[in-house]
Amino acid sequence: MTEPTDFELLELATPYALDAVTDDERAAIDRRVSAASGAVAQAFHTEVRAVRETMSVVATSTALEPPEHLRARVMAVATSKRKFPWRTALLTAAAAVVIGLSAVSVGLALRPAPTPSTAEQVFAAPDVHTVSSQMPGGGNATFIFSREKNAGVLVMNDVPKPTIGTVYQMWLINDLGPESAGTMDAQAVSSSTTAVLPDLRNSNALAFTVEPGTGSTKPTPPIIAKLALT
Amino acid sequence: MTMGERLCYGSMTRSPQVDALAALLHRVADQDADAFATFYDHTRARVFGLVTRVVRDQGYSEETTQEVYLQVWQNASNFNPAAGSAMAWLLTLAHRRAVDRVRAEQSARQRDSRYGSATAEPAADVVADSAVIRDERRRVADCLDSLTDTQRESIELAYYGGLTYTQVSERLSANLATIKSRMRDGLRTLRNCLGAT
Repeated sequence: MTEPTDFELLELATPYALDAVTDDERAAIDRRVSAASGAVAQAFHTEVRAVRETMSVVATSTALEPPEHLRARVMAVATSKRKFPWRTALLTAAAAVVIGLSAVSVGLALRPAPTPSTAEQVFAAPDVHTVSSQMPGGGNATFIFSREKNAGVLVMNDVPKPTIGTVYQMWLINDLGPESAGTMDAQAVSSSTTAVLPDLRNSNALAFTVEPGTGSTKPTPPIIAKLALT
Repeated sequence: MTMGERLCYGSMTRSPQVDALAALLHRVADQDADAFATFYDHTRARVFGLVTRVVRDQGYSEETTQEVYLQVWQNASNFNPAAGSAMAWLLTLAHRRAVDRVRAEQSARQRDSRYGSATAEPAADVVADSAVIRDERRRVADCLDSLTDTQRESIELAYYGGLTYTQVSERLSANLATIKSRMRDGLRTLRNCLGAT
């Protein structure tokens, strides 16, 4: 049986599904749907769903290719919420042991921290810069950095894993020479790899080499890619 | 008879593409970065296009799109395939964020006594990547053409202009019941047109 008030509620399903209601109206409608009979609630949800499916098809008519740099930002912001910078790899390993002791806490540990991550701070910085380079073995590296925040986010897409027994090593180069900024082994490199570099020092370039074993104290030539940080 | 019984809608969301997106979302929920990248590549044009149509500012559209995908990364486990398609779930998130953004801007403008027109404008620079998309786009355009002018106007002011149905009724000097029926009937026409493949 459909009451007049139920009819009125069902009439709101379309504006609700189109987001054509205020936040207060939306909350009030949600409360009314929760309190409504099962049949009315179901009818409401069916209408909302149908409108949303329809508009998702209509969205082909407004499709618009986003700028290329947005991809790196989206990947970096998202994956930085989970992955950890290489520099803290040992710390992470230690934390993993602690988390492992309490399986229940894993889900909570993966939730984002309430304070903005370094990556988010970099992206929000007024002086944010993006530099990009093709990698010789395929794929590309994009570095998004801020001098003000003294940090950067490296995003590598489709870069092949280093061969067995070698690692990729990053070097921050300043007037005094190169300083290691971390290494990546085959396990660390996926088709979309993200890393946060929390200290840029006075560097003017970020360079990459292939190093034997677990990395070197000085870069072994050749430098396979170099991003100018200007 | 309730609305729900009258409405039935069918085959238009049952494409392999949709199932593939749902499977990807499932992997994204497990924090699979590769699946997330693929999901982005399959959906970015629709999300960015819709957001841009509503927000109408390049910088804000990029920010909003970034927020949408962050929400996807963090809340992919909320996606329930039984409640709708992955694309509809995603575009619902995207539209809501875009509307929130536009309303925040509008209320800021109102405070400055510089209330701008929110009339929907056609999207510029639309890029069609493939014949399939061009074909789909033509089909959608034909279906949009099958609406009456008043139906289309009401839906566009709300959906692309970010207006509430009350604001739409004020803008068009029509009563609330009229606006609600135009929206409902327009959507029903669209649905039947798009679903009848």
